[in-house]
Amino acid sequence: MTITAEIIHPPGAPFGRTEADAHARAARLEALLGDPYDPANPHGLQALFAADDRGEPPAATETLLAGAGFGAELVPAAHGGLLTRADLLARALRPVFRRDVALGFGYGITSLFAAGAVWTSGTARQRQDVADLLLNGGRATILHHELAHANAILRHEFSARRTADGYRLDGRKDVIINAARADLQVVYARTDAARGPRSHSVLLLDPDRAGSGHVQRLPRVALPGMRGALFSGLEFTDCPVPAEALVGAEGDGVGVALRVFQVNRSVICGVVTSAVGTVLHSAVRAVTEGRTAPVAKRWHKPLAGVFADLLACDAMATVVLRALSLLPTQAHVYAAAVKYVVPDLLREDLEELATVLGARGYDHASPVYGALDKLVRDLPVAGLGHAGSASCQAVLVPQLRGLAERSWFAEEEPPPQLFRSGSELPDLDYGLLGIAGGGDFMAASLVGSADRLAPARGTSGTLGALADLAEAFRTELRALREQCRRLPTSGAALTDPAVVVLSDRYAGVVGAAGVLGIWEHQDGSDPFLADPAWAVLALSRLAGRLGIPVPDLPDSVHAQLLDELVRRHRDGLSCDLDAVSHAP
Amino acid sequence: MTTVIPGGADRISTPLHVSGPDAPWHRVRESMDRYGNAVVHTTWGEWLTAAVTEPSLRPLLGRDWPRYRRTADPTVRYRFVASRLATKYTAAAALHTDPVELDLAYKIGGRPYLRGLDQIDVSLTHTDDLIAVGVSRDGRIGVDAEPADRRMSYDLLSGHVLTPAERADLDPLDDADRTAAMLRLWTLKEAYTKALGQGLRLGFTEFGFGVGSGDLLAPDGRPAARGEWSFATHRVLGRYMLSVARHDAGLDTSRDTAARTMLDEGFMGAVTELLDVDRY
Repeated sequence: MTITAEIIHPPGAPFGRTEADAHARAARLEALLGDPYDPANPHGLQALFAADDRGEPPAATETLLAGAGFGAELVPAAHGGLLTRADLLARALRPVFRRDVALGFGYGITSLFAAGAVWTSGTARQRQDVADLLLNGGRATILHHELAHANAILRHEFSARRTADGYRLDGRKDVIINAARADLQVVYARTDAARGPRSHSVLLLDPDRAGSGHVQRLPRVALPGMRGALFSGLEFTDCPVPAEALVGAEGDGVGVALRVFQVNRSVICGVVTSAVGTVLHSAVRAVTEGRTAPVAKRWHKPLAGVFADLLACDAMATVVLRALSLLPTQAHVYAAAVKYVVPDLLREDLEELATVLGARGYDHASPVYGALDKLVRDLPVAGLGHAGSASCQAVLVPQLRGLAERSWFAEEEPPPQLFRSGSELPDLDYGLLGIAGGGDFMAASLVGSADRLAPARGTSGTLGALADLAEAFRTELRALREQCRRLPTSGAALTDPAVVVLSDRYAGVVGAAGVLGIWEHQDGSDPFLADPAWAVLALSRLAGRLGIPVPDLPDSVHAQLLDELVRRHRDGLSCDLDAVSHAP
Repeated sequence: MTTVIPGGADRISTPLHVSGPDAPWHRVRESMDRYGNAVVHTTWGEWLTAAVTEPSLRPLLGRDWPRYRRTADPTVRYRFVASRLATKYTAAAALHTDPVELDLAYKIGGRPYLRGLDQIDVSLTHTDDLIAVGVSRDGRIGVDAEPADRRMSYDLLSGHVLTPAERADLDPLDDADRTAAMLRLWTLKEAYTKALGQGLRLGFTEFGFGVGSGDLLAPDGRPAARGEWSFATHRVLGRYMLSVARHDAGLDTSRDTAARTMLDEGFMGAVTELLDVDRY
């Protein structure tokens, strides 16, 4: 069968700006990729784990994705692609990520993370060129600038010197994904030796046109995670770059990065959660397979807890992905908070699932049990570890005082479309994204949720527990307000560790707001999501992490989540808010 | 001090003795520079003066203060203070900051961590009068100690503690060697599950160690890891067995773990600049 973009988007179908359309595209991709657990499936987990073990990209599956028109998902609809909203993009691509995060990045979504600079500030010509490249199956990669506390992926950077007809590029970087096979290199190059917000500029490099003798391709680098992805280095020596390669104005690089990172961070959270869902399925399989008796009692807490965390992560990611469309000037704070919270939560969830899987977790090649080992290695590469979280804290810390003084307990709540499934939202416009100021719609949402739940406080049952938890988070926000009001407005004092600590607490509090918002705006069509149990368990775990006292939970909470989880496992449904069908 | 298992010796710091708040903390920083991790041990008596006289004990204990206050038994109480102070001072040395600036918090499974400062992971153990703390910048770390003379009945416990492959290795040994080997494996298993933040929730027969190699193995003896885990056991103070499990997530993290340098100046500057424009 010849696979073309038309399979993903059949001609004549109404152009997709709805969740239903994104789900339909995901379902087609899911069907193309086939049963992940079938050892004979060339795109199944066994084949993907084997490619990872060989340190190779899964060639057959990459070919399938190319034929399926993956690249069109990354190109804005205005330029002929399918990208309308970031939340729909994440949903459409989940079938890839739930099988193999490294494939998703390496094939993959990195092209969008690179092209984001062009969608943000590119000229009409640059946009169309990059769109055409991606629509035709081409690939882009990012040559990041170095961030504070950089790890291997963020370490080193390039510098560009202005000349009469453009720039000359110098420098070396050893770990760049797809450096050897990308058709476009998006460079965040230093154009000003002074440190600060105008230090870098974005340049587009066509590797085929870089003069010989000016570029050296460095050897492939093996990382323990994403072993099948192709990381290697590049070294430029006095490499000429034409003036028209500049994206936006000189000095715009850091600002562009702050805009593009919001989308990248949010999309990462929206897709890696589905990969942990695969591990959760394997854990449920481990404790149910060959058993007619109910799941052993000792597994109730970890399984129900991780399920609640995944729903919470999906809630946070969904809200921020929608905010990029609906509240583009204000989404930056929540994007940083969610990216700070989600990878850490997922890492702990994998460790909790390791206890349930036990020795099965060491069956690395097994399609039914091997997902844990691979994701434990891949997830730090996707989330970038400490350097990734610190880059979020760098956005949050300078804003805390202003938010405490002017926004918290003062602002209006965001529109309900932010939380409501099926809402029509504007298309994502990278150019509209803000990078500072604009208030804090999620703090407002938390306060509103706690207000509405207040009548149930102190009552028994799950609604009472939810109301108590909402109040506990509101109290935490109040305590934060007192501390953040006393912070310096700027300067070196902001880097005090005691100030940095506040950004962690803040992120946890607004993370909880996302869970409450999604729960409150359920339309009732899914009785499980409409019931407070999942939100209660998710919030109690977020509260526990923050050291907030947690009320005793009704006994039924864990049982309700476990029942739903076992049902979803039996019926082949995803462990997220959508409960979509997996390929048989 | 003797290193019992050499397996992870080149990737795990030799345990350093610290004697209270005035310990030579630069040794922790040297160890972080060299290994990416540091393991310290101390006894709670060495922190008693600080626990009694420290004027800033309340901010130093932070959210642990109420627990300290409601602990009636003085031994338990001071051991608790000493272990928290030792953890905070060790972490502060690795983060190049003051212990009072840190918020020592706990994850769901009980794993301690430094809130907001994820450049290091931390683990804490105590047994009798020994306290040991591990910190690492490369990934999870777990430490566990037991008195070296702790009696463990091989016949009673081996079925609960050891995998079939480990029992096959230990069965031929004489009684004393077998007991010592099982105790060592016990501390390694504790250290590994603590590194995962899971304590005893992960069954000890679900994974094992190569008795000679110290490698992580599946119960049937197959390799369970690809070199991302290192393990070491040391005898400290002549009477304790201290095991360390250390994971390397492989990101080749920054050698700079200082708390004050972690916020990117470019990002902070861009945000601050716009906020200043907003304000006026």
